[in-house]
Amino acid sequence: MSTSRQYELVYIVSPEATDQEVADLHTQIEGIVQRYNGTFDKTENWGRRKLAYDIGKHREGTYVVETITGSGELMKEIDRRLRVLDSVIRHLVVRVDEELRVADRTREARQANSARRRVARGLPAERAPGEGRGDGDNNDDMDGPEAQR
Amino acid sequence: MREERGGGGRGRDKDKKDGKGGEAPRRGFFRRRRVCKFCAEKIDYVNYKDVRLLAPFLPERGKIQPRRISGTCALHQRKLQVAIKRARQLALIPYVTD
Repeated sequence: MSTSRQYELVYIVSPEATDQEVADLHTQIEGIVQRYNGTFDKTENWGRRKLAYDIGKHREGTYVVETITGSGELMKEIDRRLRVLDSVIRHLVVRVDEELRVADRTREARQANSARRRVARGLPAERAPGEGRGDGDNNDDMDGPEAQR
Repeated sequence: MREERGGGGRGRDKDKKDGKGGEAPRRGFFRRRRVCKFCAEKIDYVNYKDVRLLAPFLPERGKIQPRRISGTCALHQRKLQVAIKRARQLALIPYVTD
């Protein structure tokens, strides 16, 4: 338990690299993960993206996000490898299990709290669809001008 | 409206909403009561890969917007700060723009 942690690895491959090279890199990392008895949870290729600032002489890069469960040593090895490779222009390893656990816990606490208060008010515990103000989840058009003032 | 204050932390968001139409347009000019975006939309995890989420907190210059302006609560501003710094490392958002 203590050695198994979830990490997120994001790396940016140089735009000159071909799709094949990107795939090779992925298998290489997979190999390291297996060698250290880690598990590969998810991989996501964002494709080519413009960089917010130049890295070296590059203006764009291919982003790959991998979610890996394993030990700290595993991530250390991956980190070392990626640092050496010239085709990887930037990479970042973030430990996510704790943050996600905290997020889960706050969400559960909020839901339990709301259920309790709703019951106290004589309402069913769950909010019926269409009831209340609703969540403006995907609504970010209010933020620009709001944030400015 | 005053009574609701007693509700403590939980009632905060409602409180702020009330303040908008409420009694205190402080000293002449009217200032809009701001609500923490993350509390209002119940975002528990501030994802550093989500540029669209972070973008409103980066004014033109690219600096992190202070919470006195954006209205973000202390907890979420802290999380936001970490997320923005990570996103900067990954060249998702700029360190500076000029």
